[in-house]
Amino acid sequence: MEQSSEIMAAPAPALRQRIFEAYLSHLQREGHPPASVYRFCEGGGFTEREFFGEFASLEAVESAWWSGTLERVTASVEAGSEWSSFSARHRMLAFLFAFAEASLDFRSLLLLRLQGRGVLTNPAEFAGFETQFLAFAQRLLDHGRASGEIASRGPLGKLYPQAAYRLFRSVIDFHLRDASPRYERTDAFIEKSTSVLFDLIGKQVLDSGFDLIRFLLPKWTNRA
Amino acid sequence: MDPSPDPTSGQDSIRSTPLSRMAALAGAGASVGMNYLKYYGKRAVSSQNPENSAAARTALDEANASRIYGTFSQLKGGPLKLAQMLSMDDQLLPAAYAAEFSKAQYSAPPLSWPLVRRTIEREFRQPVEALFQQFTPQAAHGASIGQVHRAVLDGQPVAVKVQYPGVAESLASDLRVVKPVALQMLGLREADVAHYFKEVEARLTEETNYTMELRRSQELAAACAGLKNVRFPAFHPTHCSARVLTMEWIDGEPLDRFADGPASQAERNAIGQALWDFYDYQVHTLLLFHADPHPGNFLVRENQLWVLDFGCTRAITREFHERQFALLDPAVLVDPVAFPAALRALDILLPEDSPPVAEKILALARQSIGLLARPFLSATFDFADPAFMKAIYDMGEANRKDKSLRQLRGARGPAESVYLNRAFFGIYSLLHRLRAEVVIHPVSRSRQAAALEALP
Repeated sequence: MEQSSEIMAAPAPALRQRIFEAYLSHLQREGHPPASVYRFCEGGGFTEREFFGEFASLEAVESAWWSGTLERVTASVEAGSEWSSFSARHRMLAFLFAFAEASLDFRSLLLLRLQGRGVLTNPAEFAGFETQFLAFAQRLLDHGRASGEIASRGPLGKLYPQAAYRLFRSVIDFHLRDASPRYERTDAFIEKSTSVLFDLIGKQVLDSGFDLIRFLLPKWTNRA
Repeated sequence: MDPSPDPTSGQDSIRSTPLSRMAALAGAGASVGMNYLKYYGKRAVSSQNPENSAAARTALDEANASRIYGTFSQLKGGPLKLAQMLSMDDQLLPAAYAAEFSKAQYSAPPLSWPLVRRTIEREFRQPVEALFQQFTPQAAHGASIGQVHRAVLDGQPVAVKVQYPGVAESLASDLRVVKPVALQMLGLREADVAHYFKEVEARLTEETNYTMELRRSQELAAACAGLKNVRFPAFHPTHCSARVLTMEWIDGEPLDRFADGPASQAERNAIGQALWDFYDYQVHTLLLFHADPHPGNFLVRENQLWVLDFGCTRAITREFHERQFALLDPAVLVDPVAFPAALRALDILLPEDSPPVAEKILALARQSIGLLARPFLSATFDFADPAFMKAIYDMGEANRKDKSLRQLRGARGPAESVYLNRAFFGIYSLLHRLRAEVVIHPVSRSRQAAALEALP
């Protein structure tokens, strides 16, 4: 990992990297993406051919950057020494804490894209980000199912990755609005909200609740 | 099944919004209501026999106490601390509640390991592995606003206390939300406990400041270095911050377990003496004392008393000290002029009190001070004597039941006395549990005499 990033930071950075840097610096400075690929290339010092060789559109640049950023966080937690021994709940917590920490490097970009936006809608630039997260969540949930930590509830289980994504977006939203010193309240929020999610998908309330309803249902229907 | 149980499963972490806290408390309130229904049901059956009825009432208090304790410990932070504080004042809570709440130190549910790691790494900007040679992910035990992990630093075992993140921020709103519900549930009047809430909030805010705790611990340990059989863990300031404290790990026995164990009388007396001397020195000489004499804050190892957790200390003024301890002189107690004057100086007796009210307060104060001062007035005092503690409990119980007294209570006495009373009630209970006989130093008595002379 470290070696490859050193190569990236070599005197002539790879084209893709240069495009990312030029795009982000424009976005952060101006508060909006470049007006056109032509102008972007002119300012960035590369040709349109070079640009389109890497990305199909300006939007694709940003989308790829968000998903690449998320991938670096998931890769770093998944490579952690404790990862294999962690339960799904702990894996989710470790990921969210790592993301909260990493996001301090690009907080202004998150604010630009997500501030004031509800957690249910995704900006177009976050398409790759969401896909990346859903794949990660699927791996995490599979681990939880295999260990029996997470209940298998047939078709309902298909909603779990989406539920995890909403949790993730709520955490980002909370973090962006958090004014506590060193964002301590975000940490507490992560712990609490993750507990709620895993209590809901764990073999606890719902299953015993369903069990009770199944037990009572014949009685009610007979009476009706 | 997962072979290693997830330590966070079944744990709810600090409930976040005021609304969810209300919901949790209302849950406890409802089930207390259910228990009362059961109690009245039982009583209707057994009302002919008063002894049965008393037993049913005790069983009821126990069931409610454990239910309410469950709720408070789920909420952690402020509410748990509040429960602990109320449990120290026997006049406010029935014995069953006090017993259940005093468990609080041991059994608060743990934070997840990823969060503990996150907190430590944020505080020190280094991985846990770089800070400690070993670190146990499971908490060794809980504390009211944090939890303690065992770790190894420079080859030595250490205890690392990690504060619940966000607890400092949510304190005030916690107490605001919890107060009315707690009052309702415990059947207390707001005026009776207003001074508690104020003091609790002030102390809790201090308690969330671990940097201050570190400084105080070191100062108090240095000041008390000369006391026999009283020891303090050494701190590692390089591994301490506003949210994390690292100190020497003490492999001792909690004081209550030691007291309930097979220790000999000589051992009990030695530990009891150390406890007495520690408070004697703090209250009379340092005018600053460890205000949380909870059994979980003391460990016994090799016949020495180890004092932990200096989050809650209280300073008192010389003036307050003189006024308060002047009351312990038996001559003052029976003096028709000096006694009311001493109570007036402490705002226990207020100028607007009508003669019957003043009479009632005087009688009550004479009785309670006469009783509570008893240990100070002899050369040695045997706390094992069940009659002494029973008299205190009976007095508390009688006062608690006295409706006319409730009207009087309100916010009498200075705020400092909340913690002083709590500390002394705490050490009396501990010494009784230890069944220790303690030598009362002439220092205390001569100080009281000096204090008496200083009284206007």
